Amino acid sequence: MKQYTDLEYLKLSKFRRGLHKLAAFFLSIPRAIAGLFVKIGLFLKNAALAVGREIKDIFLTFKNGDWKTRLSFFIMGFGNLSRGQILRGVLFLLFQAVFIFFMVKPTGGLYWLSMLPSLGKEGPGKAYDPVYDTYVTAFNDNSFQILLYGVLTIFFIIACVITWRINVRQNKLAQQILDSGKPLKSGKDDLRSMVDDNFHKTLLALPLAGILIFTVMPIVFMILVAFTNYDGAHDGYTNALFTWVGLENINTMLGIGAGSKVYAATFGEILLWTLMWAFFATFTNYFLGMLVAMMINKKGIQFKKGWRTILVMTIAIPQFISLLYVSKMFAQNGMVNQFLQSIGVLKGLNYIPFLSKEWPARISVILINIWIGIPYVMLIATGILMNIPQDLYESAKIDGASGWKQYTKITLPYMLFITGPYLLTTFTSNMNNFNVIYLLTSGGPPNPTASSAAGSVGFTDLLITWLFKITTGAESQYYFASVIGILVFIVVAIISLVVYNLLPSVKNEEDFQ
Amino acid sequence: MASVKLTNVKKIYDSNDGSHSKDYVVAVQDFNLEIKDKEFVVFVGPSGCGKSTTLRMIAGLEEISDGTVEIDGLVVNDLQPKDRDIAMVFQNYALYPHMTVYDNIAFSLRLQKMPEDEVYERVTRAAEILGITDYLMRKPRALSGGQRQRVAIGRAMVRDSKVFLMDEPLSNLDAKLRNQMRAEIILLRQKLDTTFIYVTHDQTEAMTLGDRIVIMKDGFIQQVGTPSEVFDMPKNLFVAEFIGAPKMNIIKTRLQKEGEAYFVSPYGVRMPVDGEKGAALKGASAREQEILLGIRPEHISLFFEAEKGRIPCRLAVKEMMGSELHLHVTVEDGSRLIIRIPTLGLSEEEKKSLEQGAALYLGVESKAMHFFSEETEENILV
Amino acid sequence: MQTTTNTPVKQHMGMKKKARISNTFIYIILILMSIIWLFPFVSIVLQSFRGGPVKGMTNEIIPKIWSLENYKALANTDFFKWYLNTLIAALATSLLQTVIVLCMSYTLSRFRFKLRKGLMRFMLILGMFPGMLAMIILYRVLKDLGLTQANAVPGLILVYVASSGMGYYISKGFFDTIPKSLDEAARIDGATRAQVLTKIILPLAKPIVIYTILTSFMAPWGDFVFARYISFGSSEGMNVAVGLYNWLNADQINSSYTMFCAGGVIVAIPVTIVFMCLQKYYVEGVTGGAVKG
Repeated sequence: MKQYTDLEYLKLSKFRRGLHKLAAFFLSIPRAIAGLFVKIGLFLKNAALAVGREIKDIFLTFKNGDWKTRLSFFIMGFGNLSRGQILRGVLFLLFQAVFIFFMVKPTGGLYWLSMLPSLGKEGPGKAYDPVYDTYVTAFNDNSFQILLYGVLTIFFIIACVITWRINVRQNKLAQQILDSGKPLKSGKDDLRSMVDDNFHKTLLALPLAGILIFTVMPIVFMILVAFTNYDGAHDGYTNALFTWVGLENINTMLGIGAGSKVYAATFGEILLWTLMWAFFATFTNYFLGMLVAMMINKKGIQFKKGWRTILVMTIAIPQFISLLYVSKMFAQNGMVNQFLQSIGVLKGLNYIPFLSKEWPARISVILINIWIGIPYVMLIATGILMNIPQDLYESAKIDGASGWKQYTKITLPYMLFITGPYLLTTFTSNMNNFNVIYLLTSGGPPNPTASSAAGSVGFTDLLITWLFKITTGAESQYYFASVIGILVFIVVAIISLVVYNLLPSVKNEEDFQ
Repeated sequence: MASVKLTNVKKIYDSNDGSHSKDYVVAVQDFNLEIKDKEFVVFVGPSGCGKSTTLRMIAGLEEISDGTVEIDGLVVNDLQPKDRDIAMVFQNYALYPHMTVYDNIAFSLRLQKMPEDEVYERVTRAAEILGITDYLMRKPRALSGGQRQRVAIGRAMVRDSKVFLMDEPLSNLDAKLRNQMRAEIILLRQKLDTTFIYVTHDQTEAMTLGDRIVIMKDGFIQQVGTPSEVFDMPKNLFVAEFIGAPKMNIIKTRLQKEGEAYFVSPYGVRMPVDGEKGAALKGASAREQEILLGIRPEHISLFFEAEKGRIPCRLAVKEMMGSELHLHVTVEDGSRLIIRIPTLGLSEEEKKSLEQGAALYLGVESKAMHFFSEETEENILV
Repeated sequence: MQTTTNTPVKQHMGMKKKARISNTFIYIILILMSIIWLFPFVSIVLQSFRGGPVKGMTNEIIPKIWSLENYKALANTDFFKWYLNTLIAALATSLLQTVIVLCMSYTLSRFRFKLRKGLMRFMLILGMFPGMLAMIILYRVLKDLGLTQANAVPGLILVYVASSGMGYYISKGFFDTIPKSLDEAARIDGATRAQVLTKIILPLAKPIVIYTILTSFMAPWGDFVFARYISFGSSEGMNVAVGLYNWLNADQINSSYTMFCAGGVIVAIPVTIVFMCLQKYYVEGVTGGAVKG
């Protein structure tokens, strides 16, 4: 693309300027993606360098350490104990003891790790212990448990390595502090600093533990499931073991290699609809919501608060009630059709297939979603519209701008600038908008070409409802659910990162400030 | 009631975003200063010079990257702000918006678990000194800027702490109120009789308040001295230009020697350097060199007739300041100088003749001259 | 506006007239919108009072026979069991989730520690995984712990609360607007970091605390996915959403449709009242959150 200087650019006709901008936008997309990879590369490089530094530091600590420090390499907390930091020492020692006990006990860490490559050797059918709490032993191998505890063991080992590293560093620091003739911190100091100096650690402990156990661990687990044949017929315990199958599931889903392309076709179709849905759901709400906000905000309109309250009611009432009720209103024999039949608009038992034909259903969910979404956008837009400096409008009026020009030249750019990140998150959360789709149509009406392949897929199914149906359906192909989950992640991540870096509010942060 | 000593204090900011490990900014470089008990020291400099950072390191709000800070002989590097026994007034006052004025001032005392009647005693005494007794039950948002400032000072006052830190306390006030509060701070200082460290970007504040002034730029201390020291003997060009308003005139010229006697020739007008300055140059055995000659606007005398040794110029802009006139004049090579003359010294006729384009002649006495090496911008005589 | 030759008075009247026409137009749209937006709610209330033999869907917008029988019939179902389940889950969640969100957002707003940015980025990436994915394994784990089906409520609370630290954005945005010099002043005044939080920041953060309590209280009422997973067909452990959803299944709708409406009304009333009372804080949170991004 030709590069213009500022003055050359200003001389272009309006059309050529637009063309230039458009070209620049599309040309910047590959650069944004490339930038992403560069960032990832830099991150990896820095991470490797950091690890190198750590290892060097560990060696130096050992080389320069006294006997207390060196012994602490093997007995964690020894240095602390021998230097009088009883609290820290006991905690380190306790951690090490628990770790060793966990690793070597009969069905402990080492056992789980050893079973991880096979996910179990002995299938069901042998001695089966129906006792509920299966923490200690399983008479038969349990693939699910092996995978779960295997992952946990790896997490535990990582935690142990980090703790060991902290232990080594503390020895180094303690030695330095003592050498410079200062006293070490006592256990009391440590406890006091938990509400002061180190208050952030206290505050973060619980939330991060929750995230680690209930989000990170399950995600790691589910990513691994994508490479197994874990499904209803192979639940790993009661009927059959499951095992590693490599990239087979991913290949099937994406239609790579030999075999049926039905999954790939279904996936493509659903992905396309998901993106379409997210686009329309986001932007219809956005523009209509803004319009409503502007109408209510207009000078001379009475009962502003009243109009807003009526709309906000929709947010207050739990979505499942309103959505289920609305879905029944528009059902084949629902209130709307019956009413239209009774007043004779529809002859006999004819009905409008609001939610039961492909395109009417797709349009209906988008329209009903407007009903759900406008109030949110109206609230947000009201807040922002009130913040637009009035002098912008006044000077535009003096410059002779009409109402429409004021909207396109002031209101809209301002709104887009401020709500750019919001639009992006709304788009991605609409991609995963389970409630609206599932409660309105359950994904229906059924899609005959797809349903034979992957459960009962319907025309309004999003990837996320498809995922839900797969896991709750008769065959429970968890591995496919997992593959879909990973693909959703990839799509969302790419859209987010690329768009985020192109957003004006990220690129030119100061424009409207 | 304490001394403060900073030894080789340094502040380095890492741009800690993990991607570019090499990015860091040195905000304060090798800061060495000893502040005596009950001294009033002002840190002054343009924004970004590191003055506030230094103050915040003393307060314990910024980590000290290197060096030590001692208060009363005790190294406080690792102490939390609350354990350093300091009081601080912030630029934006930092009053707790949800508390009344009384509660704001009493906050620190209550944290010390002081009995309520003593808290009452102290708060009311401070309020009386500051004249805010009537507002004790108000919330900060119901106060004017000046009143908020007083509350902020009151909050710091009641603590009887060793060191009193003030971070640009007057910069949010309008000019009139600022002058008034400045006077009050001087009064307050007499009443409190403790060690003060005061940060400002305003040289007038620095000159009027400080026992000693620390002038900073880009993280480095430029000069430490009493107000008259930094005004009369600026260590370098930066200090010379920073202190005094309007700014010192700087003329590029050459320091020359004829026999034992020094002379300079700004704009080709030869002027001898005699008296004190001449002796000092001799004492420093200054060599002939390119220099920047500094002359303060108030040290230039104005003449209406040409004479040898006077610089001819034309009047460009006249600013009437009331008691004095600021004259911007253009010299023959096009450069501008500023002259400040008291209105009283001029006759009506002379005032009338001061019109744009009028021919004027400037005289400079050698005791008003400051010599800065062009190469290093350091004062040759310091 | 080109009529500059007209007298100013006439021009003024012209503008006024124009404004009146466009305002009338806007009123018409707003009234139509209000009808559309309110219709489902009015309609569900009306249906809930519909008596007579037909319990399924009809064309009656205004019921011919008025009766309380649908509400009475709820007593013979598990509805109030579900209601209690949801209420307990909502109360516990709002309490615990608020604590966790506040811890997280306060820390990320106020402390500058080494891994802060990395942590925020990591959570952003984690958030891109569909949360439903985790449900499959969490269900099995909770089942092992005995926290599913009839005992679903504690399991449900655990799932709601555990990862709530990731939803820190809005309240962090609010904390960021509280000047940092307040913390610093308090720390110099002798407060520990913990005291800064309890004595200075929390009193100032009242709007966002209420917003967090409100949204975390409302979420469990509408949750369908997790509740359905964890209760797994056990009526004992269902919440209102799952329970009422089943009443609209093809095999039940003809006998339970009006009962669904009655149940919906009972669920909606308290939630709506709480929401409307605290509306101000909700609006503040939502607008602030969108502007912060």
